[in-house]
Amino acid sequence: MSASELVRLALSRLAASRMRALLTMLGIIIGVGSVVALVAVGQGATAGISANLQSLGTNLLTVNAGASTSGFTRGAFGSATTLTVDDAAALAELDGVAALAPELSTSALVTAGDANETASIVGTNEDYARVRNYTVWQGSFLNGVSVDAGLRVAVIGSDTATNLGLGASDVGSDIRIAGIPFQLVGILQPKGTSGAASNDDIVLVPITAVQHYFNATDSVRSIAISVATSEQMDTVKAQATTLLRERHAIASGSSDDFTIADQAQLLESVDSISSLLTILLAGIASISLVVGGIGIMNIMLVSVRERTREIGIRKAIGARGRDILAQFLVEALTLSVIGGLIGVFLGVAVSMVVGQVAGWGFQFQPMTVLMAVGFSLLVGVVFGVWPARQAARLDPIVALRYE
Amino acid sequence: MSATLLAPSVEGRTGPAGWDHADASPTADHALIDIRDLWRVYHLGSVTVEALRGVSLQVHQGEFVAIVGPSGSGKSTLMNIIGCLDRPSAGSYVLAGTSVEGLSDDELARLRSREIGFVFQSYNLLARTSATDNVATPLLYQGVGRRERIERSRAALTELGLGERLDHLPSELSGGQQQRVAIARALVTNPSIILADEPTGNLDTASGVEVMARFHALHRQGRTIVLITHDHEVAAQAPRQVHVRDGQLV
Repeated sequence: MSASELVRLALSRLAASRMRALLTMLGIIIGVGSVVALVAVGQGATAGISANLQSLGTNLLTVNAGASTSGFTRGAFGSATTLTVDDAAALAELDGVAALAPELSTSALVTAGDANETASIVGTNEDYARVRNYTVWQGSFLNGVSVDAGLRVAVIGSDTATNLGLGASDVGSDIRIAGIPFQLVGILQPKGTSGAASNDDIVLVPITAVQHYFNATDSVRSIAISVATSEQMDTVKAQATTLLRERHAIASGSSDDFTIADQAQLLESVDSISSLLTILLAGIASISLVVGGIGIMNIMLVSVRERTREIGIRKAIGARGRDILAQFLVEALTLSVIGGLIGVFLGVAVSMVVGQVAGWGFQFQPMTVLMAVGFSLLVGVVFGVWPARQAARLDPIVALRYE
Repeated sequence: MSATLLAPSVEGRTGPAGWDHADASPTADHALIDIRDLWRVYHLGSVTVEALRGVSLQVHQGEFVAIVGPSGSGKSTLMNIIGCLDRPSAGSYVLAGTSVEGLSDDELARLRSREIGFVFQSYNLLARTSATDNVATPLLYQGVGRRERIERSRAALTELGLGERLDHLPSELSGGQQQRVAIARALVTNPSIILADEPTGNLDTASGVEVMARFHALHRQGRTIVLITHDHEVAAQAPRQVHVRDGQLV
């Protein structure tokens, strides 16, 4: 019997009991649908987070105070006070450094009129906007004069402005940071981030002002460096490492008392975490695919029992064992593949909706679809073979007598 | 078309390629069914049942034979062996020149498909399948293309007076009509032997008479027919009767 004859036979059989066919396929539909949807959502989320990280600044190197251990964990992060304003000044002289901004953050209560909130206060310099990809919406950014002089001026993020009820007309007025009046000189454009940490709830003040009013020290927590071109990233990173080791008088063989993270590393680790999550989710969803396969096997076994007489008749009129085997196997395959296709359709629909709602859009992945359909074919074969063999092995005499 | 379809044409038939036909041409010397000292023994746990005990039977081309016997006599076992559904425990069975000894299940199925047309007491049509598709199914297993299958199936049904019922389901047909569909199914492959197991057993008298008339007509056309029955009245209609009792021919 040719494949088309077998498929025709299977389809006419399934058409004769549509409700049962649909219920049998449900497990596969849910399994394939959830695999496709979860993989697409996982990939969409990864793309979203990557785009988000890009918006933090391009070609960015971040120097943090504190020793690095291994992997993602750092020893004594933030507690070390090894980076100084002078280190920042020295790094700024390196070739390939386009801009550099030291960061000294603290948090404090910010008050404007009756409104107040606890915000993250970042002491930095006039290059911060360039390094971190901020643009000013109203007023102006910190300038060299205010940074050098340690003036009490502040630039706030769009969320902070909203939270404090400040608008364009308030630029020039005073806000209080931990009770100390600062003049509001600018409000930033929202970065349009989606995801965990907001980049728009922030108060920027001259680093000198932070040192003067909040942290009486010349140490900084981190230094953000914008490298001129992406090709220079590695060179600048190496040079910065050498320079800082020299300045900190670290003997060769001893470990650094600072860490330099680049964007690529960060992106890589985010990628690896999210693909791990995607695989985990897809794995969980595949369990339902297996359960769906067992459902098909169950129904096929029932079907073989119910159709014992039909099998006997077919054998009496000339069907060989392999004809019966093929008939039942193709029936199981037809169930699993139709179920798989419906599942792909639903999975794609769900991931489109989720992508739309979450704002990272939808990327069609032909590979995922192919794999899902291939996997449902495999499920059909694995769980269809046993019932089909049972059918093929029936003794025609016994089968014909079966009531 | 229909004339050639239902005419006995054993000489004109060609088996599937590769089939050994050296001894297949039926002559006066070569019986179509040649059974010699055939035994069929069942082992049911510790009990051994001898269903057939040394049966020898020859049926020639064009014969109409009734195998008669009460239930439990072994006639059903004999029918299963003649129909290649079962194998003998001992003795030889040569069907149309092919010995069933040592044939695999698949080879037995091919022999059955080529040489035997079954007609059962309970019709045994495929439910939810039209008369045309029922009759076409044996051709499916011979690898005949769909168009030819439908053509030959319709011709066979028309020949049996069911030209108006081609697309009916078995459940929409009377018992007599269903049995005629079953006869059409047995004939459509143009087999050597029509093997009928109590074909009138489930039918009312009038339908039974009609079905028997069909067998007589087929016999007159030169068909070989083996009829298995416990009913002596039905058996009496066949020119030759063979009686089975306690696993032996008497």
